[in-house]
Amino acid sequence: MIDLKKPLPQELIDLPESDFQMVQSEEIHDEKFQTKPIGFFKDAMIRLSKSAVAVTSFTIIVLIILSSLIVPNITGYGYRQQNIAAKDLPPRIPLLEDIGIADGTRVLKNRKKEALSDTSRYPEGSVLEIVREFEAKGVAMVDVKVDAYVYAGVPTDEYHWFGTDYLGRDLCTRLFKGARVSLIIAFVSVVTNVIIGVIYGAISGYYGGKVDIVMTHFAEVLDGLPYVVVTILFMLLLGAGITSLILAMCVTGWIGTSRLIRAQFFRFKEREYVLAARTLGVGDIALIFRHILPNCVGPLITRAMIAIPGAIFSESFLAYIGLGIAPPEPSIGILLSDGQNVLLQYPYQTFFPAVLISVLMIAFNMFANGLRDALDPTKRGEE
Amino acid sequence: MFKYILERFGAMLLTLFLVMVLSFMIIRLMPMNIFENPETPPEVQKKLEDELHLNDPIPVQLFYFLKNVITDLNFGTSVKIRPGADVFSVIADRIPPTVMLNLLSLFISIPLGLICGTVAALKRNTWVDNLISFLIVIFISVPSFVFASLMQYSLTYIWPIFPTLYDATSPQLSIRLWSMVLPILALALGPIATIGRYLRGELIENLSSEYLLLARTKGLTRAQATVRHAFRNSLIPISNTLISLLTGIMGGSLVIEKMFAVPGMGGQLVDAIKAGDHFLTVALLLFYSATSLVTILIVDLSYGIIDPRIRVGGTK
Amino acid sequence: MKKSRLFALLLAAALVLSMLAGCGNNNNTTTPPADDQSNTTPDNTPTTPDEPVTTGEKVYRTYLASECSMLNAHDNVDTNVSTPYSYTNSTLWRAVPNDDGKGYHYVGDLATDLPVIVDQTKGTDEEGNEVVETTTWEFKIREEAKWHNGDPINADTLVYSYKMQIDPVLVNKMANFLYDYSITIVNGEAYFNGECDWEDVGIKKIDDYTMQIITVGEPTLNDFCSHFTDRSCYPVHEATYEAGMNADRTETTFGTDLDSYVGCGPYFFDSWTRDSVQVYKKNPDHWLADLFNYDTVEVYIIPEMNARVQMFESGKLDDLIPDSNTIETYIDDPRMVSYASTTIEHIDINCLNTNNPISTSVNYRKAIYHAIDRETLAASAFGYMEPAGHYVNGMAGILSESGIPYRETKYGKATTDLIASWSAEGHTTGYNPELALEYLKKAYDECNVSYDTKIELIMAFDASSSSWKACGEFLQQEFPKIFNDMLSIKIVNYSGISTTEFKKGNETGWDLSPNDWSRGVSRNYPHTCFYYYLSTYSSHPNNYFSPAFEEQYAVCESLRNDYEAMIAATQVLEELYLAEVIQCPVIQDVNYQMFSDRLEVPVDNYIPGFGWGTMYGDIIGE
Repeated sequence: MIDLKKPLPQELIDLPESDFQMVQSEEIHDEKFQTKPIGFFKDAMIRLSKSAVAVTSFTIIVLIILSSLIVPNITGYGYRQQNIAAKDLPPRIPLLEDIGIADGTRVLKNRKKEALSDTSRYPEGSVLEIVREFEAKGVAMVDVKVDAYVYAGVPTDEYHWFGTDYLGRDLCTRLFKGARVSLIIAFVSVVTNVIIGVIYGAISGYYGGKVDIVMTHFAEVLDGLPYVVVTILFMLLLGAGITSLILAMCVTGWIGTSRLIRAQFFRFKEREYVLAARTLGVGDIALIFRHILPNCVGPLITRAMIAIPGAIFSESFLAYIGLGIAPPEPSIGILLSDGQNVLLQYPYQTFFPAVLISVLMIAFNMFANGLRDALDPTKRGEE
Repeated sequence: MFKYILERFGAMLLTLFLVMVLSFMIIRLMPMNIFENPETPPEVQKKLEDELHLNDPIPVQLFYFLKNVITDLNFGTSVKIRPGADVFSVIADRIPPTVMLNLLSLFISIPLGLICGTVAALKRNTWVDNLISFLIVIFISVPSFVFASLMQYSLTYIWPIFPTLYDATSPQLSIRLWSMVLPILALALGPIATIGRYLRGELIENLSSEYLLLARTKGLTRAQATVRHAFRNSLIPISNTLISLLTGIMGGSLVIEKMFAVPGMGGQLVDAIKAGDHFLTVALLLFYSATSLVTILIVDLSYGIIDPRIRVGGTK
Repeated sequence: MKKSRLFALLLAAALVLSMLAGCGNNNNTTTPPADDQSNTTPDNTPTTPDEPVTTGEKVYRTYLASECSMLNAHDNVDTNVSTPYSYTNSTLWRAVPNDDGKGYHYVGDLATDLPVIVDQTKGTDEEGNEVVETTTWEFKIREEAKWHNGDPINADTLVYSYKMQIDPVLVNKMANFLYDYSITIVNGEAYFNGECDWEDVGIKKIDDYTMQIITVGEPTLNDFCSHFTDRSCYPVHEATYEAGMNADRTETTFGTDLDSYVGCGPYFFDSWTRDSVQVYKKNPDHWLADLFNYDTVEVYIIPEMNARVQMFESGKLDDLIPDSNTIETYIDDPRMVSYASTTIEHIDINCLNTNNPISTSVNYRKAIYHAIDRETLAASAFGYMEPAGHYVNGMAGILSESGIPYRETKYGKATTDLIASWSAEGHTTGYNPELALEYLKKAYDECNVSYDTKIELIMAFDASSSSWKACGEFLQQEFPKIFNDMLSIKIVNYSGISTTEFKKGNETGWDLSPNDWSRGVSRNYPHTCFYYYLSTYSSHPNNYFSPAFEEQYAVCESLRNDYEAMIAATQVLEELYLAEVIQCPVIQDVNYQMFSDRLEVPVDNYIPGFGWGTMYGDIIGE
C-alpha cells in the first residue's frame, strides 16, 4: 500500500513513458445496439397508441376541436345572426328528414280547432296532422303537428341542423362556437393553474421547513373554502366575462397541482444525483427546473388532462347558475342554461349542448386515463 | 391516539378560524347593499348601516365580527334572507334536508360503487366489465345538473314516476324519501362511478399479486381471498377519494337543491351570496368548510381501522 | 384482532351518526315542529296521516316564486308577506268579491262596519277657496275579535301596532305605508321623524272598542279602506312583539319564524317549511269564516318555472302564471285569462355618462327612442306582450269614476296617434330607423363629434331576466345596422345588487338600463306613473330632469279633484315626456293567468285593485 501522507519516491515519479506498453491493442466496446433507443416518452407514446380507447378518445377530442374551429364558418349562419321570425325552430337535417328524424316538425299543443283554417296563423301546408282532439271549456281544441319551418314562414331550403334559439340564431353554429369558447376557457385556466401550482409546489417542496409549513397551511386554508363557492364569489366580484371566469377558476384551482409537485419534490430532492449537481455548484433555480421538475412531468400531464373536463364543467356550472360570460358570446354552459329555460317546450335546445358536453367530458376523461397508464413508469416496456 | 386526535382537532379549529377570517374579508370586498327598497330614506339607511358597522373600514368590521364570535358565539343576524333572525337559527332549519341529501348520496354511492368495482374486477374483460366500465365513464363525465334535468324531464314529466319536487311536509318518511330519489341519484351517480373505477383498478392490481396467490394456495376460495385480502387492501386509496367525493357532492347540491326545491343549505348559500346577506354567507361558508374538514379528520382516523398496519399519530 | 377492528368500525360509524344526530337535535331545539295554535285547531285533519286525504277536504294549492323572508310586515319590504298575511291575519277591513262576480266591496273584518266621517276641519287655500284640511273617521272594533292564541283584540291592540309601525326608534322600513300611502295620517311622518309626540298623531282610542283616525284632506272611503288593507297595516300581537324587542328597542325578532308570530285571520298558519311549503288550515271560529271555502291552503315555493308548469299540468297546482317561454303553449287555451298590468317595461337612459360624448343630447335619446322595434320585441323576446311607445300604462285611470282607462280616452288616443305618425310604415309605436339615424347625426353635430366616432353603449341589467337578455341581444344586433355602426351595444350583467345600487356612483358604468317600476296609484291618477322621474323623488332611476315637465306634473297634481281637467293635463305631460325622452318605453306588460278546472274563481274577470280573489274561490269536483 502506498502511504498517502508521504510523498512518492522520486524514482517512481521519474519513470519514463517509454517503459509503459499497452497490453491490448484493439479498442474495447460493448456490443452495438441493433435497435434504436426508446426514451421514456417515446415508450409512453407507443403504449398510448396501442390503446384503442385512448386513440378513439383522442380522435374525438381532435374532431371536436376541429369542428369548433371549422363548423361555425361553414354553416352559412353567423353565431350572432338573428332572425326573429325563425325563432325556436326544431332541428332539420337533409337526408335524415326523409326518414322522419329531424324533419323540422313540431306538435303544437292546446290550439283552437277553428283557427286551423286561418292561413294568417297557419300558412298553407304547415298543418300536417291532428294528433289529438279534445274539448276544453266547451271549445274544440286540438294538438296539431305542423311543419315548423312553413309555420314560421321560413324558406323551405333553409336547414338548421340543431334548430334555432330564442332569437332565431342557428344553434349548430352557436354550439360549436360555444365549444370553442369553453375549450379556450378550460385550456387557459388549466395552463394558468398548472403554472401557479408548479411554482408554488416547487418552492414549497424544494425549500421545505418553515417556508413549506406556511405555504402548505395557506393552501390548506384556501382549500377549506368550497371550490364552487369561491368561484361564485369571485365571479360576482369581477363581473361577467371570459377573463374574470378564468381568474375565478384560478383562485383555488392550482392547489391540487401544487400538492402533487410538492410531494414529488420531497421524493426527489434528497436523491444522490441532486446532491451531486448541488456539489457541482448548480443554482437553486436550475436544480428546481432542470433537475427535479422533469421527474414530475408525467403525473403533471395526466393531472392537467383530468383538469380540463373539470374546467369545462365549472364553466357550465357557473353559467347554469347565471354567472356566465356576457352575451352574445355563447359557451356550452350558456347554451345549456338557455336551453333549461325552455326544456319543456323545446327539449332539443338542451339536448344538443348536453350531448356535446358529455361527449367532450367522456373523451377527455378516457384520454386522461390512457395517458396515465402510458406514463406510469412501472408499466414501462409492457405491451 | 387520543393525543393525536386532539392535535388534529386543534389544527382543524385553527384552519377553520383562518377560513372564517378569509371568507369574511372576501365577502366584504364585494359590492353589496342591504336595502332593496329604493324608498328607504338615506338617513334610515345610514342609521342601520352604522348599527351593523358597515361604514367602518374592513379590518374594523372584522374586529367587531370576531369579537362577537369569540365572546358570545354570535355570528350576527341575517339581513336579507330572513331579516332579524340569528344566522344560526337560519342555518339550523336547513341542515336536516341538506345532510340527508348529501350523506344519503354518499352512503348510497359507497356500497353501489364497491359492488360495481368488485363485479367489474372479478369479471374482468367480459361484457359485464365492459358494460360497467362504460357506465362508469358516462357517470363520471356527465355533469350532475345535466343528469338532474334529464331525469326531471323524463321521469317526472314524460313518464311521471317520481314527484317533480321534494315533498318536505309529508309526515311519512317513505314519501319524503321517494321524492328525494331523483336528487340523490343525480348526486350519487358521479361518486358511484368514481368509487367503482378506483376499486376496479386497485382490485385488478391486487388480484395479480403474490400474496393473493399465497392465500389461494393456503386453500381459500377465490371469493374468500378477494374479499378478505384484496378488497381490504384496495380500500385505503378509496377512503382518500371520499373527501373529494363529499366536497363534490356538496358543490353539486347547490344547483340540485334548487331544481328539486329541497329546502337545504345549497340553495340558501347561492341566494345569500346573490342577495348580499354578509353574515349568513360567512356562516354558511364556515359550515361547508367545517364539514369538509371533519370529513378529512374522520377519513384520516379511519385509516387505522381499514388497515391496522397504518399507525396514526406515530412519528416518522 | 377481529373484535378490535369491529369496535373501531363501530366507532367510526358512531362518529358519523353522532354528527347526523347532532344536526337533527339542533333542528328540534330551534324550531319545534308545530305551533301553539294546534290545540285550538279543530280535528278536521285526518288522524291517520298515512291515508291520502279523501274526506272531501277542500285543498287549494298555489305557489310563490320565492319564500317570504319574514312575517314582520312592518319591516319587510318583500311583497311575498302578503300571502301569509291575507290568510292568517286580519286587519280592519277586507275587500271581498260581490255576489254577482262583477266587482268587489269592503266589509268590516276587525272593524264591525265601514268607517264613518264624524268631523271635518275646514280652511282656505292660497286662492281663498274653502278646502277640507282634516277629516276624522270613526269605527268600532268587533268585541268577539281575538288572536289565534285566545288573547283579545281591542283598540289598544291597534293603537300599539300603529304606534310601533311608525316608531322613530324602531325605524321600520314600511313605516311610510302607514303614515302616507293611499291616505295621509295627520302628523304620522312628523312622529316617525321624532318631531312630535304620539298624542299629536291622528290615531286615537275613544274607548276599548272605538277608534278615530284623522287624515289630511278628504280621501274617499275606498282610499281609506284600501289603505288599511295593505299588508303592512295589519295589527301585531303585542306580547310577542315586545318579547322579541332588544334592549334599546331598535329591533324586534317578531315574525322571524312561526314561534314569534301570532295571527288572527280566517286561517291558522299550520306549518311552515321554509323554501318548500306554507300550510294554512281554516279557523272555523273566525267572524268571517263563512266567506272562505277552502279547508286547507298550501302555498308551495317553486323558483323554477319548469317545475311550476309540470306541477300545474299534473294537477298539483291550481293556478299558474305563464312566463314568456311558457305562454306559447297556452295562448289558445280557453282556460287562460289575461289583463293589462300597470307596468310599462322601459329603458332608462344615462344622460351624464362622461365616457359617452353625446349623452347629454336630447337628440341622442330621441335616436334611441326611434331605434327600438317594439312590435318585434313584444311578440318575440317578451312573448305576447303589447308594444308601447307611451308611458301612461293601460290600467291607468281604470279606478276613476268613469272606469275608462286613460289610454282609451281622447287624450290618451291623441298621444298614441302622435306616436304612430312618427313611426315608419307598418309600425305604430315609434320605430323609425331613418328618423333614428337622423336624430343621431343631429346629436353628433350638437356635441361636435365627427361621424367617424364609434360609440359603444353599455346596456346593464340583472342577469336573471331572460326577456331583457333577449331584448338586449336583439338591440345589440339592430343598433349597428340602424346607425351605420356609429352606435353599438355592450351588455353587462350584474347580479347580487339592486339596479339602484348598481347605478349609484357609477355614472360611467351604464348607458341603458331596463326598468319595470310601476305605480299602482296610477290606476286612480294616470299622471302619477311619472312620479319616479321627478327630481323630488330621492331614488330616481335616471338623471335627466326637465323643469317644464315637473311644472306640468305639479299642474296635474293640483287637478286631482277634477278628473277631466287632470287627464287633459296628463296628455300635455306625456307629450312633454316624449319630447324630452325622459326615458324610453318599450313594452306594456300583459299578465296571463291559468286556473285549474277544479278551481272556481269568484269573479268573472280580473278586477283592477282586487285581482281574482282566489282566496274566496271554491274547489269544485275533483
